[in-house]
Amino acid sequence: MRLLRPGAVTQAERTDEPRQGFYAGRMGFFRQTAWHIILGGLSVCFALPLLWMLSSALKENQEIFRIPVQWFPETFLWGNFIEVLNYPGYPFFLFFRNSMFYAGMVTVGTVLSCSLVGYGFARLRFPGRGFLFSLTLATMMVPYIVTFIPTFLLFKNLGVLGTYIPLIAPAFFAEAFFIFMMRQFFRGVPRELDDAARVDGAGEFRIFWQIMLPLVKPALVVMAVFTFVWTWHDFFRPLIYLNDPDQFPLSLGLFSFRGRRLTEWHLMMAAATLMTAPLVILFAVAQKYFVRGMRMFGIKG
Amino acid sequence: MRPDLRRQMPIVVSRRRFLQLLGMSGAAVFLGSCGGEEEVVQTTAASASPTTAAPTTAAPIDIDFWLPGGSDPFCQGFVTVADAFSASGSGINVTEVLCGVADDEDFNERLLANLAAGTPPDAVIIWDPPVVMASLGALEPLDDLMAASVNSKVENWPEGVLASCRWDGQIFGLPATASSYAIFYNQELLESKGIPSGRDDFPTTWDDLKALSAEFVQWDGDTLVSAGMIPPYDAVEAAIWSATNGGTLYDAESKQVRLDSDENIEMLDFGLQWLNEQYKGDWVAMDASGNYLGAGYVDELGRPPGFQGGDQLAVVNGFWLAADMYGSEFAGWERWNVAGFPVGPSGTSTASGFWPNWCAIPKGAPNPEASFAWLDYLVVDGMSTWFSQVPDIPTNRLAPDDLFPQSVADQRGDEFATDMTQFFTGQLEVAAPMWTCPVQNFLHDQLYTAISSVMLKEATPKEALTLAQEATQAELDSLLS
Amino acid sequence: MARLRRLRSRPLGRREALAGFLFVSPWLLALVVFHLYPIVAATYLSLSEYSVFTPPEFIGFDNYAKLWDDPTVWRAAGNSLFYALLSVPIGLVVALILALLLNRPVRGIGIHRTLFYMPAVVPPVAGTIVFLLLLEPRAGPLNTAIETVGLDGPAWFQDPAWAKWGLIILSLWGVGAATLIFLAGLQEIPESLLEAASMDGAGPWRRFSNVTLPLLTPVILFNLVIGVIYSFQVFDAAMIVGGTSGVPGGSTLMYMVHIYRTAFGYFDMGYASAQAMVLFLVIVAVTGAIFGTTRRWVYEGV
Repeated sequence: MRLLRPGAVTQAERTDEPRQGFYAGRMGFFRQTAWHIILGGLSVCFALPLLWMLSSALKENQEIFRIPVQWFPETFLWGNFIEVLNYPGYPFFLFFRNSMFYAGMVTVGTVLSCSLVGYGFARLRFPGRGFLFSLTLATMMVPYIVTFIPTFLLFKNLGVLGTYIPLIAPAFFAEAFFIFMMRQFFRGVPRELDDAARVDGAGEFRIFWQIMLPLVKPALVVMAVFTFVWTWHDFFRPLIYLNDPDQFPLSLGLFSFRGRRLTEWHLMMAAATLMTAPLVILFAVAQKYFVRGMRMFGIKG
Repeated sequence: MRPDLRRQMPIVVSRRRFLQLLGMSGAAVFLGSCGGEEEVVQTTAASASPTTAAPTTAAPIDIDFWLPGGSDPFCQGFVTVADAFSASGSGINVTEVLCGVADDEDFNERLLANLAAGTPPDAVIIWDPPVVMASLGALEPLDDLMAASVNSKVENWPEGVLASCRWDGQIFGLPATASSYAIFYNQELLESKGIPSGRDDFPTTWDDLKALSAEFVQWDGDTLVSAGMIPPYDAVEAAIWSATNGGTLYDAESKQVRLDSDENIEMLDFGLQWLNEQYKGDWVAMDASGNYLGAGYVDELGRPPGFQGGDQLAVVNGFWLAADMYGSEFAGWERWNVAGFPVGPSGTSTASGFWPNWCAIPKGAPNPEASFAWLDYLVVDGMSTWFSQVPDIPTNRLAPDDLFPQSVADQRGDEFATDMTQFFTGQLEVAAPMWTCPVQNFLHDQLYTAISSVMLKEATPKEALTLAQEATQAELDSLLS
Repeated sequence: MARLRRLRSRPLGRREALAGFLFVSPWLLALVVFHLYPIVAATYLSLSEYSVFTPPEFIGFDNYAKLWDDPTVWRAAGNSLFYALLSVPIGLVVALILALLLNRPVRGIGIHRTLFYMPAVVPPVAGTIVFLLLLEPRAGPLNTAIETVGLDGPAWFQDPAWAKWGLIILSLWGVGAATLIFLAGLQEIPESLLEAASMDGAGPWRRFSNVTLPLLTPVILFNLVIGVIYSFQVFDAAMIVGGTSGVPGGSTLMYMVHIYRTAFGYFDMGYASAQAMVLFLVIVAVTGAIFGTTRRWVYEGV
């Protein structure tokens, strides 16, 4: 595989106005349509769980597990949503607020800390960097099953059980998956950009903040979306660390609809739909950053 | 991201979780009947606790109570019982009922983390046998508390069920409920072939039952379109079919595992012959044809149960199935009944089995007396409420004995519902010893491996059971040493 | 992993080193407090007998010795290896293809991007249940589709020979995350390079192989390593499909599931920790080997 020679990209090229981009205006109407048809088939396959969840939320309980799969309800029972919102064991708006708090804080913490640390590992040389990075990766390789009790004991000794601290604080100190991801993205950025700034006498933090961060904006968006979605779904850590039902997030409350033997799947799916809606909106909004060209502003002078 | 649907078939948690996850027949009945009460319960629960315990002048003792699973109405049922307990002048408030949070496996992790950290709840319901947890030093012994109690004296519990709580000469749990097992069969299907369908007419030997099963087996090419009975395959129920052949899986007295006894090998071989004769010896094809292994519940692939669909003569399951029987999957017929287990080739008498809910007090709980007072109240006075939410047979002799599942009574009348419930209660009298092995979960997994390898033709019954025997005995020995 | 940069042109400045330490300092703290301590604890537990209920008791390497002779451990390891060897490469290729398809300025392509990411946004419970329904052997949509082509679909999760393939398909369905990461990587490739290549007369394939692919290698490396780390630790999906017994017939008993049941089913946290440590070493070795090859194929913006 042929590699690009260093120096193949110059700063001037990178800061080209994006409107004249390579792909712009290349595809005619028919090719666009063809593209939609190809992708459409695949998209539908991938979207099936959402469709099924939504339709289950509008069904009667017994209708849900019918084989062959019934993609649309016989009658649309919109009342299921009302029932969920009034369900005694599922104070939706309280749980929603808790989820927003939990996922929001973790996302902010993760994006800040992991981009910082990832940049440090990608671009700055310091003694022991390779070793520390290996350790970082290693933290992903030990199954949580054998570390979670020691971790629980740690937080117990810190006296923070029953609070959100064990759930949120670690996010502000970075996390291996995203450190690794950001390191890879920063490494893909040509050296010339920051070297030029360094020659101009810019400090490391300024280079990071003003030059490098804007260049990896899509990666930052990915990180934020992933973190938010994963935290939003997380019920294990809230289950382990929280005691008071008033603190519970939506994910944990979902289990209010589960019985020992009989589960109210239609309500569970309605709750899941209500829980998922914000994520769909979040993603639809965030993914505009995947439009080519949005990354270029930010390099000044 | 830890999703929660677990496949439910032949694994320990399986049957129970299977029901919990996918049982849905009767859900509407259930909700319809308690929907109205729910809100009342909710409001009292929210406002009651501090004021209702007023009669006692001493500061009330607060305890918290955890149980592994349950829907909101089920949990509210416990809150109701707890409030009544506080109001009864006990001087004890059950302040926290942690219930139905996530999966029972996740619950287990939470419980274990708190036990390891020395912050256990005051009282729990557990789904691991007390003998297992007691052998590892996780539970408080209850003998003295039981002797001094109102309801829970030793003689008020059937010994066969209490055996699952005994370890090292002490008792470590209260089996609050124990739902027994029986064979559910389709009377109308029998009558359609002119076969007498009464409970007394049901075959009393496995040989006869196998022959009866053959009448109803029908294949269309590689697809099984109707089944008689599926040969015994479930690792939990293995205790029952072993006992019907005069065998046992574990001898608690001598602390010996007995998986590879001649009786067990014979019985597993009997099952294999059954598979070969009626199901083409092809477990996979049988399983792929439809839901014949779900034993009365929708399976994890969403397939409706063959039994309720009228395509299967009989299934083995516990009392809970009775309450869930008349759901939407119940198609075109009405009359089912239950019968006892037949006797195996080397057996002499019938047997049954049971699945309990155990109450226990974790080691290190600060107020064992108060915790026990609550459990003592729950296992008798709380049983009507419990039963109304999830029909489980109460075990304690002082508990109400006139309960029956409403969904069955609605369809078949009170008489049938009562008779059927009494039949299950009677099944407890012939229950095989179960849940007495300190390495119960290990034994179960080994047994599952053995049975499936036989049914999939990877090993002979003798080979498979010998392997399981050696591994399990070694595990037990290492625990005991 | 501690790999020398190919062009180590500049001296290791003290200012740069200091800045480096400052940048990674939050993580260093977390590394020690939240990660190294639990790992060290787990290592100690692997040398102990520990039921969770009573304090651990040091027993040396007994747990490791036992592990070697445990047929169930070997079986579970075999299942996990099969799964990892197939799901990782297939997943990488599929994710890359999807990302390339999505990286187009077609009007309304955002809808497709959203839909591809759907399995990840839907709560895992709902996503998994529907997947099981899709693979129902008789009337499930997948086998119905296979039938229309005139073939007989396998029994998937009912058949020990096919159940792991079912899990692999399930993993492909969750490929949206990797796709998105690839897409972010594609977004970083300077258009000017593609244009330059185009002006040199390079067709789409040569533009892809000479420009896009090399510039994407850091992201490929990321997805590969993460794929390896996570696929060896596959747990949730296997638990959902096969429970702790690996239904059907032990075919879905993955290594992590066995660790789980050893820890919380058999209450043998010491033995479970030993199994986890072996898994840890295997993953370290595999990822170490991958990093050992990166010099030959990963482009760095040096």
